[in-house]
Amino acid sequence: MDLRHTFTVPASPEVTWVAFNDIEGIAPCFPGAALTSVDGDAFTGTVKVKLGPIAMQYTGTGVFLERDEVGRRAVLQAKGKDKRGNGTAVATVVAQLSPDGGGTSVVVTTDLSITGKPAQFGRGVIQEISDKLLGQFVDCIAAQLQSTAVASTGEPSLAEAEAAVAGSTGSGPPPAPSMPDPHTVTMTDIVPTPPVADATPRPTAPRTAPQHAAELDLGSTVLPVLLKRYGPPAAAALAVVAVIAWAARR
Amino acid sequence: MTVTEIGSPRRRKEDQRLITGRTRYTDNIVLPGMLHLAMVRSPFAHATITTIDTHDATSSPGVVAVLTGRDVADEQGSLPCAWPITPDQKAPPHPAIAVDHVAFAGEVVACVIARSAAEARDAIELIDIDYDELPVVLDLEEALTDATLAHPDLGTNKSATWVFDSAEAGTGDDVAQALAASELVLERTYLQQRLIPAFMEPRSTVVDPTGEQITMWSATQVPHLLRLMLALTLSIPEGKVRVVAPDVGGGFGGKLQVTPEEVITMLAARRTGKPCKYTETRSESLMAAHHGRGQVQRLKLGATREGIVTGLSVDLLADMGAYLGLVTPGVPILGAFMYNSIYKFAAYRFSCTNLFTNKAWTDAYRGAGRPEATFAIERLMDDLAHELDMDPVELRRKNWIKHEEFPFSTIAGLEYDSGNYEAATDRALELFGYDDLCAERDRRRAAGDRVQLGIGVSTFTEMCGLAPSRVLGALSYAAGGWEHAQVRVLPTGAVEVVTGVSGHGQGHETAWSQIVADRLGVPFDSIEVLHGDTQTSQKGLDTYGSRSLVVGGMAVVAAADKVIEKARTVAAHLLEASTDDIEFAEGRFSVRGTDQGLALGEIAFATFSAHNLPDGFEPSLDSDATFDPENFSFPHGTHLAAMEVDTETGEVTLRKYVCVDDIGNVINPMIVDGQVHGGLVQGIAQALFEEAVHDESGTLVSGSFVDYLVPSAADLPSFTTDRTVTPSTTNALGVKGVGEAGTIASTPAIVNGVLDAIRHLGVQDIAMPCSPHRVWKALQDGASKGLGAEEPVPDRVAPEQDAGPMNSSGNLPTGDFQ
Amino acid sequence: MIPSAFDYHAPTSLDEALTLLAQGGDDAKILAGGQSLIPVMRLRLAGPELLIDLGRIDGLRGIEDDGDAVRIGAMTPHHDIASSALLGEHAALLCAAARTVADPQVRHRGTFGGALVHADPAGDMPAPALVLGAEFVIAGAGGIRTVSATDFFEGLFTTAVGEDEILTHVRIPKHTGWGARYEKFTRVAQQWSIVAVAATVRAEGSAIAEARVGLTNMGSVPIRAERVEAALAGCALEEAAIARACASAAEGTDPPTDTNGDADYRRHLATVLATRAVLSAAGG
Repeated sequence: MDLRHTFTVPASPEVTWVAFNDIEGIAPCFPGAALTSVDGDAFTGTVKVKLGPIAMQYTGTGVFLERDEVGRRAVLQAKGKDKRGNGTAVATVVAQLSPDGGGTSVVVTTDLSITGKPAQFGRGVIQEISDKLLGQFVDCIAAQLQSTAVASTGEPSLAEAEAAVAGSTGSGPPPAPSMPDPHTVTMTDIVPTPPVADATPRPTAPRTAPQHAAELDLGSTVLPVLLKRYGPPAAAALAVVAVIAWAARR
Repeated sequence: MTVTEIGSPRRRKEDQRLITGRTRYTDNIVLPGMLHLAMVRSPFAHATITTIDTHDATSSPGVVAVLTGRDVADEQGSLPCAWPITPDQKAPPHPAIAVDHVAFAGEVVACVIARSAAEARDAIELIDIDYDELPVVLDLEEALTDATLAHPDLGTNKSATWVFDSAEAGTGDDVAQALAASELVLERTYLQQRLIPAFMEPRSTVVDPTGEQITMWSATQVPHLLRLMLALTLSIPEGKVRVVAPDVGGGFGGKLQVTPEEVITMLAARRTGKPCKYTETRSESLMAAHHGRGQVQRLKLGATREGIVTGLSVDLLADMGAYLGLVTPGVPILGAFMYNSIYKFAAYRFSCTNLFTNKAWTDAYRGAGRPEATFAIERLMDDLAHELDMDPVELRRKNWIKHEEFPFSTIAGLEYDSGNYEAATDRALELFGYDDLCAERDRRRAAGDRVQLGIGVSTFTEMCGLAPSRVLGALSYAAGGWEHAQVRVLPTGAVEVVTGVSGHGQGHETAWSQIVADRLGVPFDSIEVLHGDTQTSQKGLDTYGSRSLVVGGMAVVAAADKVIEKARTVAAHLLEASTDDIEFAEGRFSVRGTDQGLALGEIAFATFSAHNLPDGFEPSLDSDATFDPENFSFPHGTHLAAMEVDTETGEVTLRKYVCVDDIGNVINPMIVDGQVHGGLVQGIAQALFEEAVHDESGTLVSGSFVDYLVPSAADLPSFTTDRTVTPSTTNALGVKGVGEAGTIASTPAIVNGVLDAIRHLGVQDIAMPCSPHRVWKALQDGASKGLGAEEPVPDRVAPEQDAGPMNSSGNLPTGDFQ
Repeated sequence: MIPSAFDYHAPTSLDEALTLLAQGGDDAKILAGGQSLIPVMRLRLAGPELLIDLGRIDGLRGIEDDGDAVRIGAMTPHHDIASSALLGEHAALLCAAARTVADPQVRHRGTFGGALVHADPAGDMPAPALVLGAEFVIAGAGGIRTVSATDFFEGLFTTAVGEDEILTHVRIPKHTGWGARYEKFTRVAQQWSIVAVAATVRAEGSAIAEARVGLTNMGSVPIRAERVEAALAGCALEEAAIARACASAAEGTDPPTDTNGDADYRRHLATVLATRAVLSAAGG
C-alpha cells in the first residue's frame, strides 16, 4: 500500500536534513520501535505492535538506500519478520525535503507491504493501522524538528506552537543520547483525530502523557482531562507553555 | 419386478455412521508411533529463497526432523499435470517443497516432523527464512503482456493457447464471416472471479510406511489416480503403494488433486520410517488448496433482428495460478464445447490462453469449465433479449434444439443424445408463476418502488459423465474415462459390490445398492458397497465430472448382468434344463412353465461348494466389468430466479428459485434433490457472495470465512425443484449426471435476475459477486448516465449490407470483427 | 490451529483474579467467553502465557433491577441479554442488538463484558451501550471505579479498562418503554456488521420526543449520532421527516473501506439504516 504524509517545519532544510539522517534520533519516533544496533547506513531493531488481544513483534533490519544531500532525498528501507512466523513487513520510506519560505516542507511517501496473517485475517484494517502508525512516526519527527528549530531561534512563534500541538497529539519520547527502552505501542497511543462534528468528543491524549508534561509537574492526569474538556485550544495553550519552559531550560 | 428400489427415495446407508460420529475421516486415524507434520509456507507471492535456518526448530521439543526443499530435491520429483492441452504447453517444474524460489503465497518451503501436532506447530515458528522478493503478476491482462513474469525462467506467462473453430473442424461456418453478416452483434466481457472450493473437511493425509506396502490415507476424491501419480512421481513400484480414501467430507473438485502435502507426508514417512500425519488448518486450506474459475471472457454473439442467433466467438484468458495441477489447463477447455449450449449455431469459435500468475494454482471446481460457459451464453441471451425487447424465455425457445431434433450434433462437435427443453421449461414456468411475477416486476418498475423485482432465466445443458476415453485421448488428457466394478455373491447370498468411483458425499453406497437390488433381486440391506481403497477396489478412475452414476453405475450394471448369466448357467445345470428355458425374476431362477427354481443365494452356495457344477465352469459367480461410455451425458434444465433488489442499499435477496432439471432416469430422488440443492447454493454463492481476493502483494486477504463468504442455510430460501425425465439413450440405465448441474445453471439465473430488476435504471452489467456495494455503485453510475427512458446504446449493430464502406469483394472491412 | 502453550487459572474470587492479572502482566489475558480471544489464539496472532478464566467467580453473571438502572454482570452471555424480560422492558435496544450477535453458539458462550472490553469496531454491543449511557464498573488493585460510556471506548480495540483491571458490571440507565431497533446490515447471516445503527426512541403521540442513535463500524469506536438525535427531537413520526433528520448520520465518521464496501458506501448506508432503525424503533 502507498501512504503519504507531509509536514512543514520552520527549521532550515540543512538542519532538517541532518535530523532526518540521524537514525538514532528518528527511529524512536516509530511507535513501538527500538533500535538494537546501528552500523553506518544500516541498523537492526524491533517493532512491537499490539492491537487488542493481537500482539505482533517484528524483528528486522533497515538500511539507507539513498542519501542524496544535494537533492535532499533520503530513501530508507526497513524489513521485518514477525517472531512467530506470522508474516513480514517491508517499508520503503522516501523523504523528500524542499525549501518552504524559511523552513522546510517534507513529503514522506511510504510503500508498505505487509504479508502473512495480518493481511490474511485483518478484515481490511491493515491500511488504517499502517496509516496511523506512519502518521504517528511523521508527527513525532515533525515535533522533534520543531523543537530543534525552537532551540536554534530561542523564541517560539504562534505558528510554531501550533505545529508543536500537532506534534504533541503524537507520542514518543524526545530524542535522547542513548537508545531509549522499547515500549509496546498500544492503540491508545494511536489516537484518532477527534471527529469534526456530531460525535461526542473522546479523549485525545494518550494514557501516558508526553514526558515534557511530566517534567513540568503537570502530572499525567491533568493534560488528558484538559484536552477532553476544552479541546485543542487548551492543548495549544498548554503546549506553548511547555515549549517555552522547555526552551528556557536548555 | 414388482417392488423397485430404483426411483425410491431410500434413506442413505452412509448417514447412520456419518451422523452419529462413527466416522473415519483421515484425521481420526491414529497409528502407533505416529508423527505429525506442520508446514512452513511462504508469505511472499514471488521470491527467491536465500537462506533457511532450521537450527532452532530442529532442537525444539518433540521435533524429529525438519525437511527443506533441498533436503528432498532428489526425491520429490515434480507434481504431475495429467492434461497437456497442447504439445507445446509450457509449465514450470512443480516441487512439493519449494527449493530455491516460491511462486505463490502459501507455497510450502519447509516441513517440521514432530511427535505431536502442537509441537510441530510450535517448531515451525522457529524456522527463520530469508527471501528476496520478486515482482508479482496477479492480473490476467497484465500477465498476457509478459511485462512481469510469474516464472522468470519460463520466459513467458503463457502456458498454452487452445482453439476450436467450427470452420476448421468442419462442423459449421467461419465465425468471423458469420458475425460480419449478422444484423446484430453483441460484444461483452465477463469476469469469472476466482473461487475457493471450501469443502467441509480440511485436507488430511496419513502415511504408514511400516507395512509391506506403503499405505496412504487421504481426504481425496481420487485414490486411484493418486496411487498411480505417487508411484510415477516418486518412482515407487506401483504395487507397493496403497491409497485409501476413508470418509471424506466433501470435495467439489477441490480434492481432485495430487497435493504437495500428500507427497511431503509420503516423503516424511519414508524418511522417518514411521507413520506420519498432516492435517491442514482452514486458513491453510483457503490459501493453498487449489482454487477454482478465474477467467476473463470476451464474447461476441451474432443474431438476426428476429432473435435467431447466428454465430458465437469466445476468447478466454484463463488463470492457471502459479503451477499446473492435475487437470488445471484442461478445465477451461472442458467448457469449450458448452458455450453454444442448447442453441443452434451456424458458426462458433473458441480460443483460450492459459496464463500463469503468482497465486495459488486453479483446478477443477464444481462444474469445471461448464459453469463458466453457461454463465457466458446465458448472460448473452438475456442481454440479447433485452436488446430486442423480447421475452428471454421466448428468445431461448426460438433458438434451442427442439425435442424432435434429438439426437443432435452441435456446432462444437458433440452429439446430444436426448433432451426436452420444452417440457422442462413449461414446467418451470408453471411452478414459478412466471407470468404473475413478470407482472409484479412491471408494476413495481412503473411505480418506482424502492425494492425492485427481477426475473432471471437460465436454460442450460452440460456435458458430464466423464468420459468416453477416445475423446479424452483426442483432447490429450493422460488417462481414460472408463469405470470398473465387481459384483460378488457370497455363499450366504449376501452381495458385495466393489466400485472404482470414490464417494465423498454422493451416497454411492445407497444408490449402487438400489441398482443391484433391482438387478439381482436381492434385498437392499443385503448389499455392501466397497470403495475408496485401492487394494479393495483394485481398479477405478474415481469421482468427479458427474461421472459416478453414468459410468460407475453402468459398470455395476454390467458386472451384475455377468453374474446373472453365470448363475443362469449353474441354475440350468442344477435344474436340469436348458439355459434358454431359465427365467430370472426377483432374484430367482426358474424353469419356464414350472414352479421349479432356485434363488440366487442358493446358486451362490452351490457355486461355493462346487460339488455339482457344469463341466469346465469356474466355480465362481463373481464378475468384473469395465465400462467405457460411448458419449458424454447431457442433462439439462430450466432455472428461474426471482431477485429483489433494494435500490437504496443495493441489497439483493433471492425471493424464489425454481428449477426443473432433466437428468434422465432417477435412481434416488432424495439424493438427487440433495445434489441439486448443494449445487444451487454454490452457484448462487458465486453470483452473490464468494470471491478469492488478493492484495497487491499477492496475499490472499479473503483468508478466513470472515471474509470469504460461504453462505449458509440462513441466507437462502428453500428451493422448488422438479424434474422431467428424458432418459439417456447411450446407457442402459438411461441416466445422466447431476452432481454439478445446480452449480452450472444457477449463477447466470441470479445475475440475470439482478440485472432484470435494475436495467431500467441504467445498469448494464455487474461484476460478480453482486455485493450490495457493487449493486449500489452500479445504480449510482447508471443514474449519473441518465435514467432508463433511454435504451442503452446497442452494441455495434452492423451497418446494413447496402450502406457503409465495402471493399471490392463485397464484404465489410475486416478488423472490426475478430 | 493449535494455540501455543499457556497456563490456565480459574480463580473463584475477583481478588484472586486481580492478583493473578497483576502478576501475569503483559503475558496474562482475561478469558470471558473466549469467542474473540480463542480464535485469535488459534490463529497464533496472540500467545498469552496465562489465561485467567472469570467463569467461576460468583456474582459476575446476571441481570438485576438496580433502581434507576439495570445492572448486568460482565460475564452475562449475549443469549441471556437477548431473552431478558427485565431488559426487554427497560433497555430493549440491548436485547435487540444481542439477538443479532453472530449465531446461537456464540451467543450462548460470548459475554456482554467480554464483547465490550474487546471493543471490536464492528462488534454489536458497544454502540447500544454507548447510546444508552452505560456506566462501566471496573475493578482494580486500587478498588472499584466507574467510567461513563463516553469515556470507555478509547480507540481501535482499546477501552478504559487498564492492563491490570477487570470490568465487573455494567449499569444501564433505564429507558423504560422506549422503542428500539438494531438495524444491522450484513451480506451473510453470521457476518460482522458492515454498518449497523442502534436506535431507541421515546414517542409521544405522533411525534418522537427523544431518540438515541448510535453507529457500529463507522469508525474505530462506536459513534453517537448526536446531530441526528437533536434533529429527531420533536420530529413527526413519518418517514420523510425522519429521513431528513437522519441525513446527517454519517457526519464526522471515519468508516473503513474493505471488500464489503468503501467509505462512501458505508456513509450512505449509515443514513439509510438510521432512517429505517428510527422508523422501526418508533413503531412505524
